[in-house]
Amino acid sequence: MKMDRRSFLAGTAATLTVPGMTGKVYAQEKIVRFSFPQDFTKIYTFVTSEYSQGQRDYITLVNERGGIGGYKIVADVSDHANDLPRAIEAYERGKREGMVLIDPLSTPVARALVPRALEDKINLITAFSGRSDAADGTVFPYVLPLSINYWTQAALIIENFSKMEKGDLKGKKIVFVHIDTPFGKEPLPILEVLAKRLGFTLIPFPYTPPGNDQSAIWPQVRRAQPDFVIFWGAGVGQTVALTEAFRNGLKMDRVSSSVWLSESDMDVVGRANAKGVMKVEPCVGGREPKVIKDILSDVVGKGKGAGPEGKVGTAYYNYGVQMASLMVEGVRMAVQKAPNGPVTGPWLNEGLTSIKDFTAEGMLPPTTVTKADHQGGGMGRIAQWDGNKFVPITNWYTAFQDVVWDEIRKYAEEFKKTGK
Amino acid sequence: MFYRRAGIRHTRYQEERQLFPLTFDRVLILFVLAILLSAPFWIDRLYLVGYMVPWLIWSGAALGLNLLMGGAGQIHLGYGAVIGIGAYTSVHLVRFGVPLEIAMISGGLMSAAIGSIFGAAALRVKGIYLAMATLAMQYIVDFFTQTKIISGGTLATLQVPPVSFLGISLKSDLATYYFVFGVTFLIALYMLNIRRTSFGRALAAVREKDYAAQILGVSTYRYKLLAFWVSSFIGGVIGSVLAVAYLRAISPDQFHLELSVQLLAMVIVGGLGSVLGPFLGAALILFAPIVLNNTLGWAASAVGTEIPIDLRAHLPLLAYGLLIVVFLLYEPLGLAKIYDNFRKYLLVWPFRHAQK
Repeated sequence: MKMDRRSFLAGTAATLTVPGMTGKVYAQEKIVRFSFPQDFTKIYTFVTSEYSQGQRDYITLVNERGGIGGYKIVADVSDHANDLPRAIEAYERGKREGMVLIDPLSTPVARALVPRALEDKINLITAFSGRSDAADGTVFPYVLPLSINYWTQAALIIENFSKMEKGDLKGKKIVFVHIDTPFGKEPLPILEVLAKRLGFTLIPFPYTPPGNDQSAIWPQVRRAQPDFVIFWGAGVGQTVALTEAFRNGLKMDRVSSSVWLSESDMDVVGRANAKGVMKVEPCVGGREPKVIKDILSDVVGKGKGAGPEGKVGTAYYNYGVQMASLMVEGVRMAVQKAPNGPVTGPWLNEGLTSIKDFTAEGMLPPTTVTKADHQGGGMGRIAQWDGNKFVPITNWYTAFQDVVWDEIRKYAEEFKKTGK
Repeated sequence: MFYRRAGIRHTRYQEERQLFPLTFDRVLILFVLAILLSAPFWIDRLYLVGYMVPWLIWSGAALGLNLLMGGAGQIHLGYGAVIGIGAYTSVHLVRFGVPLEIAMISGGLMSAAIGSIFGAAALRVKGIYLAMATLAMQYIVDFFTQTKIISGGTLATLQVPPVSFLGISLKSDLATYYFVFGVTFLIALYMLNIRRTSFGRALAAVREKDYAAQILGVSTYRYKLLAFWVSSFIGGVIGSVLAVAYLRAISPDQFHLELSVQLLAMVIVGGLGSVLGPFLGAALILFAPIVLNNTLGWAASAVGTEIPIDLRAHLPLLAYGLLIVVFLLYEPLGLAKIYDNFRKYLLVWPFRHAQK
């Protein structure tokens, strides 16, 4: 190949200097800018595209209806690939363009952004990711999980087991199979406290990340003859865990996991095989909620959907809608308090922390966010896979919030003491 | 024409041995330094914090790795772990109230000590086997950084308290930038100079053929260990810079294999053994994905077509992979070699051939 050196170099240089001219299109309108740099290509791929599709569809729905009090919502979606330099670049870019909220949907990224967000007063949403102790709004005023954290999810699961045993877990054996990462170990302190309080035996089994081979530990799980099994992972680890549980003949209706389980996972395991398995639901799944129907008719129906129609109503899509609806509700409250802005981080923060009994027309459990409680009340429910879809088997409830908040305060206190 | 080499006659050894014998090169370097030094005053904050700072830090790290790989010919797949050791050591010390200056050096020493222990494998094994040994280091260090004592429990994020360097607080973007610039400048200066020392020559001898070097009286035992020691020391110092000046909150997953591979790619794409290479490699590896992503998004909105986000997220990756393949096909010796070819061409321009 004979290529002219100069043209090669000039071409490369030209490619590398074009960037950075995005945005500015909406400069003259009244807008509220959200930044959604998320991981579409590395680790969170199993959730991001559906989650992001839900978020964008909901925001399109709101904008199509004229926005909130004259404000249009602008969502900047980009890919940070779970890579810190890229995420920090996206954060700085968003900050320059005037974003008031950022949702990175990645634990490592959220952790790295916490000190920055606190300093710059930009609302950092850490739904289903990030630090669980961020629920303590007194220590983390600008970090808002707005959703049930992993500690609450563990508590909900235990409460459900307890109900299944008519309120008595004494002497029962609960096995906790988890990925051996900080994320996987996170529920352990809560489970340990609950084991002591309720008198059950907790046996943790860690597997090595990313968890595509768990064949060594599941026979041990079977040998332990557990009454209940909790498996805790994300992405590939979840489907492998389910497959192994099935292969080892565990009773699937005594197996439960966190929010990270979706219809697509069930396709991998085999829809019939997984029948009976339970998960935590932070919001209503499926296409029944009114919001989802509205999206189907007003957004997807008009060809404005952000992705394939088949994904609408899947578990992670609905999580995205849930988070977007909470963010937009925050804007609505902020507009109520100060209709003329100025649109800043603190302005939106006022709105987000005055969300009260918000259900997004029946899609969410009643969510109340206050300046102290950024978790939103800690309500969720348990759903069971019937071979075709997840069917809720409980109402919205919350459990053991005293234990959870002890833990939250302990870690938040630690952050306050040593973090600064 | 540009370089004006004609008539230059060195009459003293110092002139012959200076870093940049040609006036043009010296002016060019001063020009680049002037740009970098004045950057905070005319570059937008976004580009200063989002691009320049990580670029300088990653370049420094790649320089350290390049000493080992390009200088001494020893492959290292665990450099991310080395950086992690430095970061955790210095952040813990800073949290105990130790001044940053001392914490940085200690981080470097700790990395150097642990790095050399694993580097000792290089005394026995070479090539792909050494790669495995250093990969083992990555995983062993990962395991230990995940423990409660080192990274701090299940939440596993360690906040870096506000620090100051030589009495200047590293809170402002300006101070941070100059701090990072200073450290990387010192490392680059060291790398430029090391090649004219007996240490650098010994490393080169070991790189070319270790038993030949041994026969010539260069102790491979000594110099292989020294190469690991020095390179790990630099990695440790850069780790503490990375923690205090850029990340500001560290967790174990920031120093996993991805970082090691990223640095390896920077060194190889940049150019093994060159000092310019790591800078170019770091720029390409760090920013090509971002730039491609933004360009594509901008192009899509300019043309007015809606590209599905899944595709939009993956297209830059395709382009990025293609870019690296094309660069390496076009010039296997790395980006620095492309610059070198260009310079050689200009040396004799408008004539056709450079004398070797």
